[in-house]
Amino acid sequence: MSKKKIAVSLSLLLGILMGMASLAGCGKSTSDGRVEVELVSYKPEAVEAFAEIAERFNETHDDIHLTIDSPNEAMTILKTRFIREDYPDIVGIGGDINYSNFLDADLFMDISDLEEIGMVKQSYLDMDKGLEFIPQEGVYALPYAANAAGILYNRDMFEEHGWKVPETWEEFIVLCKEIEAAGIQPLYLGYKDTWTCLAPWNALAVGLSDPDTCNQVNMGNTTFAAAYRETAEKMKILLDYAEPNPYAYGYNDACTAFARGEAAMYPIGSYAIPQIKSVNPTMNIDSFTFPANDAEEDNVLNSGIDLQFCVMKNCENKEAVYEVLRFLYEDEIIQIYLDNQGGIACKKGDFEIPAELESMKSYIENDRMADYQDHYYPSEMSVDAMIQTFLLDDSDDSVDTFLERFDTDWKRYNRDLIRKVQQYQQEMEDAQ
Amino acid sequence: MKKKMSNRDKTFWAIIIPVLVLFFTFNTLPMIKGIIYSFTNYKGYGSYDYVGFRNYIDLFSDARVGKSYLFTFKYALAGTILVNVLSLIMALGLNSRIRFKSALRGIYFVPNILGGLVIGYIFSFFFTYILPAVGNTFHISFLQNSILASEKYAWIGVLIVGVWQAVAMNTIIYISGLQTVPQDVYEASMLDGASKWKEFWKVTLPLVMPFVTINLVLSTKNFLMVFDQIMSLTKGGPAQSTESISYLIYRNGMDGGQFGFQSANAVIFFFVIVAISVFQMTVMNKKEEQL
Amino acid sequence: MMKKAQKTNWVLTIILILGTLTVFFPLYMAVIIAFKQPSEMTNDVAGALSFPERWSLDNFKQAMEVTDFWHSLGNSLLITLTTIVLAILIHSIAGYAIGRGMAKKKSFRLIYLYVVSGMFVPFSILMMPLVKQTAQMGLGNRAGVILLYVVFYMPMNVLLYTGYLKNIPVALEEAADIDGASTWKTYWKIVFPMMMPMHATVAILTALGTWNDVMTPLVIMSGTGQNTLPLAQLNFQTQFGTNYNLAFASYILALIPILIFYIICQKQILNGVANGAVKG
Repeated sequence: MSKKKIAVSLSLLLGILMGMASLAGCGKSTSDGRVEVELVSYKPEAVEAFAEIAERFNETHDDIHLTIDSPNEAMTILKTRFIREDYPDIVGIGGDINYSNFLDADLFMDISDLEEIGMVKQSYLDMDKGLEFIPQEGVYALPYAANAAGILYNRDMFEEHGWKVPETWEEFIVLCKEIEAAGIQPLYLGYKDTWTCLAPWNALAVGLSDPDTCNQVNMGNTTFAAAYRETAEKMKILLDYAEPNPYAYGYNDACTAFARGEAAMYPIGSYAIPQIKSVNPTMNIDSFTFPANDAEEDNVLNSGIDLQFCVMKNCENKEAVYEVLRFLYEDEIIQIYLDNQGGIACKKGDFEIPAELESMKSYIENDRMADYQDHYYPSEMSVDAMIQTFLLDDSDDSVDTFLERFDTDWKRYNRDLIRKVQQYQQEMEDAQ
Repeated sequence: MKKKMSNRDKTFWAIIIPVLVLFFTFNTLPMIKGIIYSFTNYKGYGSYDYVGFRNYIDLFSDARVGKSYLFTFKYALAGTILVNVLSLIMALGLNSRIRFKSALRGIYFVPNILGGLVIGYIFSFFFTYILPAVGNTFHISFLQNSILASEKYAWIGVLIVGVWQAVAMNTIIYISGLQTVPQDVYEASMLDGASKWKEFWKVTLPLVMPFVTINLVLSTKNFLMVFDQIMSLTKGGPAQSTESISYLIYRNGMDGGQFGFQSANAVIFFFVIVAISVFQMTVMNKKEEQL
Repeated sequence: MMKKAQKTNWVLTIILILGTLTVFFPLYMAVIIAFKQPSEMTNDVAGALSFPERWSLDNFKQAMEVTDFWHSLGNSLLITLTTIVLAILIHSIAGYAIGRGMAKKKSFRLIYLYVVSGMFVPFSILMMPLVKQTAQMGLGNRAGVILLYVVFYMPMNVLLYTGYLKNIPVALEEAADIDGASTWKTYWKIVFPMMMPMHATVAILTALGTWNDVMTPLVIMSGTGQNTLPLAQLNFQTQFGTNYNLAFASYILALIPILIFYIICQKQILNGVANGAVKG
């Protein structure tokens, strides 16, 4: 009797569970038998471009259905899905530390047999190589678009007042003072969103320190206290020429303010241009390389892979996924993306450098570029928030405090990685 | 008869066992797993190693974790005190001889039914644009800058929103407490000629003391777990000054690749909550007995 | 003496009426902004608080499209209602078995403490393992969220039900038992209806908690394409961009359903909440 009762109620419970599981709904293939390919992109600002691209793809393909998602907080959502082992087929991510981590966790498929890889500019393939903790064989990402970060400026405003693009740090400061004298706010910062602190930080750091700084620190050859001092000091100076309380305004606010002509310049990457144009579609924007140094020839343009596509290792329909990648890499499709998002194509060929990047052109053409420093920072270290903390710190020794913290935190957050790299080097030496 | 009762017991077991299985699977089991993860350097994906007590040792030397505990405690303490004082005052007001009593009670409860996230977004706009605009119009200097942008005062912004929402619930609980105080107790004290103030301390408060206990425990627990408001108001900023423990665990555990480390943080957080709740209940029980 | 005491305290009434401004003001601001156009937003107080030039529902229409409002609303309703029904059925009978058993046997007392102590377990400690576990069990979806709510609210609800049971005399059930009815039948026929007031309380407390919860759906079902109302607000923040008017229209839409529910069931809700506190 009692056993029966327990059995009955257990099966009741099971029934409820099963009923709920059936609520879950859809599976992988769509009802009309097309192969479903899911692409998750980390760029919510490109949602319109992706919608157009997906629509075009689905119009021209009867056998494959492409869905492109670019949710808010996409990186968190993507990682949550990885934790759930619920993988999309393709991910569109940046060439940054997340790529390094995912690759290190063996999540991606080798796509070196995709012929499109041969069409990628070598410098971008090298950039991806540089992001591998431990050198891998094969190619794991298809670089799509690169961005450049320096300073955006209001071209009409500059012409009206006869201001010229500065080429050295000194000229830059003089210009800021001139703008201020004209009663205009020189810079607008959106430091409420901590990640925006990284935009001027990176742009300064590539000019003022070795592009390989992080690796050098890992190998014990230098410290951040030595490498980043000037960058940190110059970050503080920028505050003098920005709105009074930049920590009150976020990225959106800063884009809007710049679009409305409330400031002459905005130190951010080219990725902000679409957002600014959404507020003021006719705005005449140009950007220049951050003049971090006292001599023009020392300046380096901050440019990195803004979007690249990686195929998840456990993806079932390699052929369908390759078809999607081939489609995405057609010149026409790349142009749709670039028209919407600005930026620089990673594919070889005659893609026009957008007018908004005109003053950076010589740097791009002469390959005077270096990857974002923050592409090497572990995300849990939250360097962006550390920079914000540093900028809020009014004490005299704030630079020392900040750099000291940078060095100690770096060791702590990277110790597993440092050990791993050293172990790998050891193995390589032993093998020889 | 005896046999009947044992049959009854069997039915009870038949009911309880599946329920316990369910509870164990989705409450106790994940907790055990969390404790196991706390001894690893797991990122949430990929492979991982057991690292012994390293995460726990790191926890106590991690400035960011320390800061989040300080913020959460400061916030919970201030919030609990404010909410309980305010809601007791509100309850006394709403329980006295006023007009529109039920309408007023109804209106004051509204903030509690609204979701913390959306309310946070609305207040975020208020703090960033409206208050500074008011400050500029009337030349009140401390209002001119958004309170959410100040490393020192951002937590007060979060606190205002938290309290605004929480007062409603505690007020209702205090009102029902006040209604358990029999009318003749008041009349007796009135005959004694006790002043209102004295009446509150000597008569009302001791009688609603059990409700104070409930409210203290409830609001401390809710304030300690603050998440929605942080997510919508500050995202932990500026300068990581408003990162609550829950927010940090979510942010770095899910997003930052610190699955293992933040599991350790969560284990410690669990013990902290248990300790605080037990402490509150013991102290308040003693108080109740004394009165 | 009695007469004097009954007099309305008008000063207090007026103070309390003025105090409702703290409730109305933020809501007023939200509604006004939701009706305006971006061009009407200026950087002064009037810009945000004056009436819009015309009352148009365009923002709301657009917000509904952007956030897929009806779908999110449907999900929120489905999750909350299913949770309530399951909570009333499962928690009440669990509370009954534990509560009645507890009076006689120590083992039930231990079970009671085990379940109720779950109240102290913060979601943060369960979050990360649960994300993995629910996904592995195929429950990384709405069903998983419902199931988790049923488990998370169990401690509080069992506490409430066992507390309430103390007021229902056992003699009734024993009489029914002697008449030959099974315990199971006795429960559904006699005890379950008698616990009606507590069902209302449980329903209301559970509903308020689940309807507004962000964290559980955020970690369990984000990326599945399904949103609850609060989750939609979070996920579409970037789509709103700098268009605060659109964002506020969406916020108002997210608040309306629960406000309507509250206006209809205000009395029951206030009673339910108070009941929970007194009995708990």
